[in-house]
This record gives sequence, C-alpha cells and structure tokens, in this order.
Amino acid sequence: MSRKTLSRRAAFRGLGGLCVGLPLLEAMTDRRARAQTKQPPKRLLVWYTPNGTIPSNFWPKDGEDFLSSPILSVPELVEHREDLLVVKGVDMVSATRGPGDAHQKGTGQCLTGIKLLEGAFSGDAGQSAGWAGGISLDQRIAAVRGQETRFASLELGVLVEGAHVGSRINYRGAGQPLPPENDPARAYRRLFGDPNADSGAVEQALARRRAALDLVRGQFDRARGQVSTTDRDKLDIHIASIADLQDRLQKVDVVFEGQCQPLTLDSLDATRVANMPAIGKLQMDLMALAFACDLTRVGTLMWTHSAADYVLGFVGDDIKDGHHSLAHKGDEDLPKVDQNTRINRWYMQQLGYLISKLKSIPEGDGTVFDNTVVFCTNEQSKGNNHDRRGMPYILAGSCGGHFRTGRLVDVGGKVPHNRLLTSLLHAMGLEDDTIGDREFGTGPLAGLT
Amino acid sequence: MTRFEYNNSVFQLFGQNTRPADAFSPDQEAQGFTNQAEALVVSPLLAEQYADAAEKIAEAHADKIMAELSGCDAGNEEQCRASVLDWLTSFGARIYRRPLSDEEIDELLELFGAATEMGEDAFDPHVGVSVTLSAMLQSPYFLYRIESGQADDGDVMRLTPHEMASRLAFLFWNSTPDAILLEKADAGGLSTRAEIRAEAERLVVAPRAREAVKNFHREWLGLRDIEGLAAIGKDLEIYPDYEESILPLLQQEAEEFFDHAIYEEDASLMTLLTAPWTMMNAELAAFYGVEGPTGDEFEKVALDADKYSGFLTQGGLLAVHAKPNRSSPIHRGLFVRERLFCQIPPSPPDNVPEPPEVDTSLTTREQFAMHEAEPVCAGCHQQIDPIGLGFEHFDGMGRYRDKEWGLEIDASGEIIGTSDADGEFDGVIELGQILANSRQVSDCLVTQWFRYAYGRSPVEEDEPTLTFLQDAFEAADYDIKGLLVALTQTDTFLYRKRLPEPSAQEEVSP
Repeated sequence: MSRKTLSRRAAFRGLGGLCVGLPLLEAMTDRRARAQTKQPPKRLLVWYTPNGTIPSNFWPKDGEDFLSSPILSVPELVEHREDLLVVKGVDMVSATRGPGDAHQKGTGQCLTGIKLLEGAFSGDAGQSAGWAGGISLDQRIAAVRGQETRFASLELGVLVEGAHVGSRINYRGAGQPLPPENDPARAYRRLFGDPNADSGAVEQALARRRAALDLVRGQFDRARGQVSTTDRDKLDIHIASIADLQDRLQKVDVVFEGQCQPLTLDSLDATRVANMPAIGKLQMDLMALAFACDLTRVGTLMWTHSAADYVLGFVGDDIKDGHHSLAHKGDEDLPKVDQNTRINRWYMQQLGYLISKLKSIPEGDGTVFDNTVVFCTNEQSKGNNHDRRGMPYILAGSCGGHFRTGRLVDVGGKVPHNRLLTSLLHAMGLEDDTIGDREFGTGPLAGLT
Repeated sequence: MTRFEYNNSVFQLFGQNTRPADAFSPDQEAQGFTNQAEALVVSPLLAEQYADAAEKIAEAHADKIMAELSGCDAGNEEQCRASVLDWLTSFGARIYRRPLSDEEIDELLELFGAATEMGEDAFDPHVGVSVTLSAMLQSPYFLYRIESGQADDGDVMRLTPHEMASRLAFLFWNSTPDAILLEKADAGGLSTRAEIRAEAERLVVAPRAREAVKNFHREWLGLRDIEGLAAIGKDLEIYPDYEESILPLLQQEAEEFFDHAIYEEDASLMTLLTAPWTMMNAELAAFYGVEGPTGDEFEKVALDADKYSGFLTQGGLLAVHAKPNRSSPIHRGLFVRERLFCQIPPSPPDNVPEPPEVDTSLTTREQFAMHEAEPVCAGCHQQIDPIGLGFEHFDGMGRYRDKEWGLEIDASGEIIGTSDADGEFDGVIELGQILANSRQVSDCLVTQWFRYAYGRSPVEEDEPTLTFLQDAFEAADYDIKGLLVALTQTDTFLYRKRLPEPSAQEEVSP
C-alpha cells in the first residue's frame, strides 16, 4: 500500500505555503502511522436530473427488490445494489410554497428547502420568481469542509442551458447562484491548468495573478464602503468570489501522482444533444478525477435543466419528443411512458457508470466510493402532474459507513425533504439541526444510518 | 457589465474582436433582458473567467503598449517608469471611463514596479505592463458603472460629465465611451439637457448604435431563440424540408429587418408591425418559396401585403412560437400579450396535460377547442388563444399556408382585456393594424426600451419618466430613433437618486 498512502492528498496537506521540505519528510518517515490514523475525507456528490420520473416504474413492485423496478434494474446499477439506499416517502414540501411555477420551485428548492425569492424570472407564463431563497446543501457543506481543498466545491453540468432559477441548484446564499461548467475541456483546464505548461511558468503566472488580485481586492473593498446597501450586497458577492480565487492561489498546484493522473480529452461540442452521452461520461470522469486528486470533496453534476425538452434520440430511435414533453404524456399513453422509462433507465446506467468509476479508485483500504455519498435528486417526482410528493431519492454510497445501504427505506410519506438534506449534512460531519426553512422540521431522518 | 458590453468594450479599447466574454457563464435573464442589474450575480466561476480574460487580453497587448513607452524596451528603468505613469494616466482613464485619482495611479505604479520583478529579467517592464493592465481590467471601475454624482438638486444628484459619457455610450453602443466622448467630458461638456440631446443625436446614428439597436430587438423579441431552435429542431415527418442551417438565416432576417427599417427607412413602430416587406437572401427566398435575391447578401424583398405584416409574420419568430410538429396559438398569443401588450398572464396551474397528438383530420384550432370548452382552461386561455389563432395561416415552421391538412383555415380572433385594442379581427393583417394603432402597444415598447436602456424595470417613481417618454414617442410620430434620443432627456437618465447616508455615496450597476 506504499503508493496509496502517500498519495497526493498526503503530499498536499504537507505542501502548504513555503515550508515544503519538513512536513513532507515528516509524512514520509511516519507513513505507516499516518495510514493508520488518517481518516480518508468524506465526499458528497449531488446528481440532478429533470422532469420527474414515472413512479410506477421507479418504485420496486416487490418490496425492496430493486430488480422489480423497471427503472432501477439496469445491470449497470444492479451491480451496485448493496451500495444503494433508496428513500421512499419524502416530499418536497417546501416546493409547494412561495413564488415560482412547479419546475422553478422544484429546481430552486431541491437543495435549499426554502421558498424562492420574489423576482422577474418568467415561469411557464408570467413573472413568477427570483433566485433560491437560501444556501444549498452542497454549499453549506463546502463552507465548512471546503477549506482544505483547492476547490471548495465543483459544479459540472451537461447541457445546462440558460441562467435562471430553473437552471441552477447550487447557491452560496439567498440569491447567489453558482453556474455549472458545461464544457469538459474548460472544466479540465480550470481544475488542472494548461497541461503543456512547465511548472516554472505556472508558478510565475500564479504570482502575477496574485499581485493583480490583491490590488483589485483593495479597490473593491474601497468601493463597497461608498455604495448603498443593495449595491454593497452585490459587490460583497463579487468580493467573496475574488477571495475564493485568492484562497485557491495560496494552495499548492496539482501534482499528478498515484491515482491522480492526467486525462486525455477528446474535443467535442458540448452544446450538442447528440454528444450528451460523451459529455456526461467526461464530466463523470472529471468529477472522479477531482476526487482522486482531492481537488474538492463536494461536487454537483447537473444533467440538463428544469423542464429540459431535448430530444434524447440516442436512447432510442423511436424517441421523437423532447424529454419534458414525454414526461407530460398521460399515464395511459403506454408507448410514451415506455420511452420516458427508457430515458430514466439511461440516467440510471450513467449513475451505475459513475459508481463503478469511483469504485475503481483505491483509497486507504478501500476505494474513493466508500467515503462518498451520491445524492440523486430531481425537480419533482412525477412528470405529468408536477407532483413533488414521494420524491425518487437515491443515496449511493455510505459516506464512510454513515448510511446503511443495500436497502429501500420507506419513511412513511409527508416527510419534508429538509430532513433528508439534514441527514446528508450529518453524514458529512456537520451538526446543523436543519437546512432551509425550519418550518419543515429539524433533525435527520430516522432509519437511514 | 454584460457579456455583450464586455466584448464591445474590449473591441473599443484594444481593437480586439475575439469576443472573450463568450466564454463567460451566461448572463442571467430577467424580463427577457440580460442586462437587468437585479438579476446579475458574480459567481466565483465568473470572477475566475474575468481573471482569465483580463490576463489574456493584457498579455496579447503588452508588447504593443511597451513599444510606445519610451525607455521600457531599452531597459531604462527611470525613463520607463515616467512613460508608464503617462500611460496609466491616459489609457487608465479610458478603462475606468474617468480620470484616475493620484492614489489610484500610485497604487497601479506600485503594482507595475512589483510586477517588473516577476519576469525573467531583474527589470521586466513587459510583465509590469501586462499585470497592471490585467488588474485594471478586473477593477470594479471597469466591470461596474459606479456613479457618485455631483451638485445636488434636492433629492437627486446630477451626474458628472464622465458618468454621463458612460451612460450615453452604454445606452447607444452597449460599450465604453470612445475618446471623443471622454474628451467632451474632460472639457466639462455633457452637462446640460441640450448638450446631452445634441450628443445623443450624434451617437444614435453612428454605425455602432446599429449593433446596440439590433441587440435590443434580439432581447425584446427573443430572437436568439431562433438559432436556439437547433437544440430541439422540428419534426421531420411533418416538416421534411426542415434544415438546421436555415435557422441562423431566419434570425438574420429578423435582425436585418429591424436594422434596415430603423436606419435606412426611419421606421416607426407602425412600420415594424405592418411592413409588407422583409430582408432575404437567395437561400431564404427558396425556403419561403418567393421570388427574391440570387446571392448570399440580404436584400429588401416586397411581399404580398394581403399575407404579410412586418415582423409579426417572419418565419423565425413564428417557428419559435410553435411546437416541433405544429403551430402553437398559445405561444403566439402569449408572445403578443407579453412582449407587445406588456401584460403577463398568470402562470398555468401545476397540473397541465400536454396537448393532444397531432391529428391530421382536424385543424389546430379544432384540436385546441378544449381551452375554450373547459371552464378551468378558458379563464386564462381566452386572453391568449384567440390572439394566437390569428396567426393560423403560418405553420410550425413559420411559413404561410393556405390550408392545413387540406382543411380550410379559420384565422379569426379576438382581443380582450386591453385598454384600446379590444375587438374581433380576421387574420394577421387586421391584427397588425390593431396593434399598430394601439397606444398600449406603443407604451409597452417604451417600457421595454426603459428596461433595456436603464437596466431595470420601472417602479412607481418612474411614472413621470414613462409619461414623458410615451408623449415624446408620440410627438416623434413613433419614430424609433426619436424614442432613443428621448431616453436621454428623462429625469431617470439625467439624475441619480441621492442616498440617505451623509457622506458621498456611489451607485453601482454591473
């Protein structure tokens, strides 16, 4: 286990600031002790897909047997059934309140659990909502757990179109959305820099950026002291973003080593629906790599956006309607229900791929997946009536033994999803008693751990 | 600033037409416009994209700037510093859109000095220039419009000449002021209403303004959605000759139409709504099946005045407000209601069934009869569908059709719930006439221009400004350029609110 123990994470932790030599030596001489005492980091990966599901084909027809669910029973996922925790009986109660249409509420609230702000984003028709009204699950965790890594969190998207409440799920706070990066090549450059640059040049570029940002930061600080309160909020968000960037520049650059190895990306047009399978795979590979390199411990992979109507023809030649349109077909329209079921199955195959990928990366005595939980969320439960009760929630991975997987747990219905979000906060070691609007209850869900 | 404004500003400052902001996260949209201050938020990703872009631009231009700074190439440190000081004073004022304070210059000089030590040589002025320029391009004074105002007039403050230069440039050009505007500001011009009006009349006819006016129409009417149709496309079983390559041409048709009408023919709002002509090239004429130009260039083409009515009947917009396999009276009615009447119908309920499958034995009107028959639907849909049904002679691809599935088309409709446009009509020609004669429609256009020009939605206190603009628009015979000039003569444009706090306050709009 020589290489693993002294993987980049270990090297990283030692390499802060200028004192490169000593901590590194320390780690090397004491690696057995480190390996025994050091807990691998816990990780959260949020997985978002839109347009609800088909509940009758999602929930196992026979108790907890995933094989009896037409959607969950894809081989790629069944392979990992012992690692799944399917949670039944949770409602997105908060998303039935406040401004916004069904899609906007379901998306803006899936990780925040609090009503949307008033605002000027048009819904299906009309002026209906603003951004989400509070911090999202992932960002709450990133605020506490993100300090040790180069990126507090990483948001990747697949064909997430638009910049409105229906296309954002990650929020640093009320009205502070974080956009996902849709282009794998750009995401890679952001994470790992220019693969061809030599290290001296990289070091120089960082020093220059630091110098420029210091001055810029000073100007922003001065400007904020002179403006009205609303405008100050706006500048403060910008300043926080600059501070993020400055923090990152203080952290050591990526070192490819051990499980952290460069990826060769084929170039592809990340705006083409036909490329969606390839884009998705690259984004999953990148997320796994970011975990392997310990660049972040909080990730989001957002598959398209609220009410996305792309025609997902790669799932089947017979599919001619957009996903949103298909999701709206009546329960009696069996051919269309079948097509939508296959789209849902396709997403589950992708989830299976991601789990396999994370399992392929050794960490400590196990794999990266052992210390991760993938939280699968949607904007609603049932596409054709916008129902947000009985959400199709899946947790994949135990998050370092926190969750007891290989089960379906039915919590009985009418339980606000804020409680499930709180369970995830606890899994990641936070002690908050809730997230979002307290009206929807406090404390984690019973029976998951 | 928006991505569009960033690209334009970089072009104006550096002559660099690489559109660096296209790589930024998209601007947040609100009310159809991407420049609404309220919705714009800078995420860490965007801050990083600003840094990347600034560094690239700075690096690309550092050598050229260096060549103009005496002493720097030769490594004469003292002489170089002196010329850098001059450069910061002059070019810095272009970037910040105002003269720099002594403290700001000192700070930048200090950064220059520190950065000269970050290169290969002990004194590397190239790196100094590059880093300093990069910092200026990430400054709040470049990325935001910060206005402190001057001499007070009770509750409001007048803008400084430089702030006015910025307002004018961003309004007419969606860009940073050019050297001429800044010189006028330096000389203390742009202070009186008359001076500002004279300047507005100069700016509105400059070629650059044509791009900004195009951009307004792009956002107001959602013209980008035409190219965006590629993501969904059309059903080839119903529209076998649909090709993705036609979409950019359809968008261009709309943009060229507004540009030509407003700039070559001094069009009024009425002309835009009713003109029996459009802009086409050979490929587009073939698509529409009309006689037209024979080359790639877009030219004015006369159309059958009994069938076509200004931008209302252009293929791009009609194809956007349609389904992949049929026309959509709902989307078209909603478009008229929202964009032209400035009325926003309530959101549909959570549980809306999808429309029926396309049925070739019924017309679209017949298939959507449920909206009228079901009381639950009718409440809202009576405000929407009867307007949209007026467009029924145009199919889901946006092309004129005599019949639908061989069936006679009934394109009669009705408008209700407006201040002065209510009544029945038959077909889009009559609809166009009603819209063209409606004060509610012209007032709505004023509101749309207000949002675009001032970067926010009007509030109650803006009533006098809106009234002034509506009257000015009428007085100018609804000439679009006349409305643009009037936008600079309002209190909203000429003044900024005085903030309650005692010290000198500043206002920010990104």
